[in-house]
Order: sequence, then C-alpha cells, then structure tokens
Amino acid sequence: MKALKITGIILVAYSMYAGLTFDVPRLVILNETIRNLYFHVPMWFTMIALLGNSLIQSIRFLRSGQEGRKVNLSLDLKAKNFAEVAMLFSLLGLFTGMIWAKATWGTYWTSDPKLNGTAVTLLIYLAYFVLRSSIEDLEKKARLSSVYNVFAFVLMIVFIGILPRMTASLHPGNGGNPAFSNYDLDDGMRMVFYPAVFGWILIGWWISLIRHRLDILKKEK
Amino acid sequence: MLRAKAIKTIFLWDWELQYRRSSGWFVSLLFSAVVTFLTSLLIKNPTANTWLALMWMILIFSALQIASKAFSANDGQYYYINQLVNPLELLIGKSLSTSFSTLLISLLSFLLFYIWVGFPNISDHQTPLFPLLISISLGSVALSFTLSFTSAIASKVDGNTSLMSILSIPLLLPTLLVSLRASKLALLGQSIEQIYPIWIGELSLCGLSLALGAILFPYLWRS
Repeated sequence: MKALKITGIILVAYSMYAGLTFDVPRLVILNETIRNLYFHVPMWFTMIALLGNSLIQSIRFLRSGQEGRKVNLSLDLKAKNFAEVAMLFSLLGLFTGMIWAKATWGTYWTSDPKLNGTAVTLLIYLAYFVLRSSIEDLEKKARLSSVYNVFAFVLMIVFIGILPRMTASLHPGNGGNPAFSNYDLDDGMRMVFYPAVFGWILIGWWISLIRHRLDILKKEK
Repeated sequence: MLRAKAIKTIFLWDWELQYRRSSGWFVSLLFSAVVTFLTSLLIKNPTANTWLALMWMILIFSALQIASKAFSANDGQYYYINQLVNPLELLIGKSLSTSFSTLLISLLSFLLFYIWVGFPNISDHQTPLFPLLISISLGSVALSFTLSFTSAIASKVDGNTSLMSILSIPLLLPTLLVSLRASKLALLGQSIEQIYPIWIGELSLCGLSLALGAILFPYLWRS
C-alpha cells in the first residue's frame, strides 16, 4: 500500500513537471495542446484498469459462493469501490478532453464515437449504482450487481473498443489522425507518457483501496 | 445439461400464457400501433434519417414492453418451474419466446409504419423490401436477447418499474447502432453484398448476449 502510494505520487509528479516543461514536437493545429496526451490519455488507461479490476472482483464474488462455501461480501464491495473511482477518472478524462476539443476542434462536445462511448460508459455504471441502491438485502444486492457488472462490462468493451473503429472519427488515433502508435509518438514524449499512465493507475488503485478500507471499517462498526 | 424438451415446454408455456392473457403481446402491439399512428400525424415526408430514427425508437420501446414482462410470475409459479427445468433452460426458453414475440411485433409495427408513414422520399430508386426486413428482424432479435437478460435482473428487484429501462437502454446501444446502419444501407437500396457483413455483426451481437446470459444466469437465479 505504502509502496503503491509513494511510487504513484513520484511518477505523477514527474509526469506533471516534465509534461509542462519538456520539449514537444510542433504540429499544426495541435501545437501546445499535444501536452494533453500526458494528462488526458492516462485517465482512460486508469479507468479501464480500475473497471477491469472491478470486473475481476465481481467474478471472484460470484465464484465465492460455489459448493456450499460462504459468500464473500467484501469482494463485491471492492468491485463497487473500484467502479466508483473509475467513474471519477472517466469524468476527469472527459473534462480534460473537452478542454482540448475546445482548443483544437472549436467545440466542447460533438457527436464523435469516442465521446459517445464515454457517455454510454457513464450511463451504464450509473445504472449499476442505481441497481445497487435499490436492493435492501445485502447478499442479493451483491449477487445481482455482480452479474450486471460482468454483463455490462463486456457490452461496454464492444461499444468503446470495436464500434469506433468501424466509423469515421476526428479523434487522434482514428481516421489517419496522429496519435501514439509506433511511428508518430516522439521518443521524448514516450519517456513522459508511460510513467504518467503507470503513475495514474497506481494513484487510482490506491484511492480505491482506501475507499474500500473505509467501507469495511464502517460495516464492522 | 440442456434438454430440448424442457426449452420447448417453457417456450410453449410462455406462448400459451401470452395468448390467454389480453395483457400479453396484444398490449405491446396496441402500444406500437398507437405510437405509430401518433407519429404519422406528427410528421409528413420524413427524411431517411428521421424515418429510421422514429422507426427504431418505436421498435425499442415495444421490445422493452415485451421483455419487461418476460420474467413476471409469482413465487409459487417459479417454485413449480424451478422443479421442472434448470436455470439455463429457463433463460433460453424465455429468451426464445421473447425474441419471437418481439420479432412478430416488430414486423407488424413495420407494416403499420409503412402504411401510415410510408417510405421516405428517396427519388432515384425503389427501396427493395427484403434486405430491409432482414435487417429489422435480426436487429429486433438481437435487442430482445439483451433485454430478456436485463429483464431477469430487474424482475429480482421488487417495486422498481423504471429500473428495467435504466439498466437496459445503455446496453442496447451497440446493437442499435449496428442495426441502424444495416437498415440504413437497406433503405438506401444498397446491394446485399454490402449489407451482409453488418448482418453478421447483428448475429454475433445476438450470440454475445445469449452466451453472456447463459454463463451468468445460474448465478442470478439461485436464491
């Protein structure tokens, strides 16, 4: 836990300093907004990592009740906490993206597949929280919401992972726009981008674990 | 183990109930008829995009109507069903009967839509009916497979009627976008060679939600 926290803080602090001061390639339209790569893209990596762990915890919860063993409710609580923090990161990613879009596309919101994917992800997980809050019985709540979590995660991945590649988009990385593939990410940017991704994932993980511990303490009280 | 006979029993049982109760699929048909008629009064000569959007909105909400009733039965009835079949057979039987009614209602709604609103005005060619019907049928079956699973979740939560739409509408979007594109190509009179990859997409979405449902349903159903 401590190592997680310290490594995360060091990496994020480095990426913030380096991200704002180091040299970046000059590209038309993008100009200085290319620095958003260090702040906007790690949010999505973190969101997917946290949602992935939420999915794993839900599967572990569903398997924990097999063959007469007692169900482990704290696994489901963990799934909920990771999903909540993932939604925080999704909002942060949305806001950083909107600021960038205003500077380059000239508008905060357009009907782009990536933006629609974000909106749908938010709706799906808000529905997950609504489902949780509408069931009183703890075990039933855990069971139903774990099932929904697994079902929703797979359909969400279909939506944000596969469908945008089938339609035209203005977003970097789609439709021939530059993004971080092998040949168009500068080596100097790579040295900042990867630590940023890794650092933010650690920070997100750490926040989720703290929330989880708080929940466990509240339950024991 | 999956028994074909058990699935058939659930399917027929569901149909008999639907047929006997006037609150069965007849309500959904009436619903879509009312909404279609209203639409035809509100809009004249829609463009292709508007036409498709309106038709799919009507289809989604009638599918939602049908699926939301799929797992409604009292505890006594379920006690009896659970003695007869295992959860997987129940899910498959229910999904099949739901998708069958959804298909029927969708085709009837399409017919009504065609009669009252007509085709959008695309001057240079005649829209062939067959690819459009296939696109709509595959789309509505794919919708109903996802919907029957969320309906099973919602049926376990008492006294929350709007939960069903909150849970399922975001999940329907992948299916809906794929179906919309298939039916758009069909409406614009594209050849089948250009549409059939999207039909495969619709079919694989059917398969995906059925497979996910089959894995998860036994966990959901035990109580």
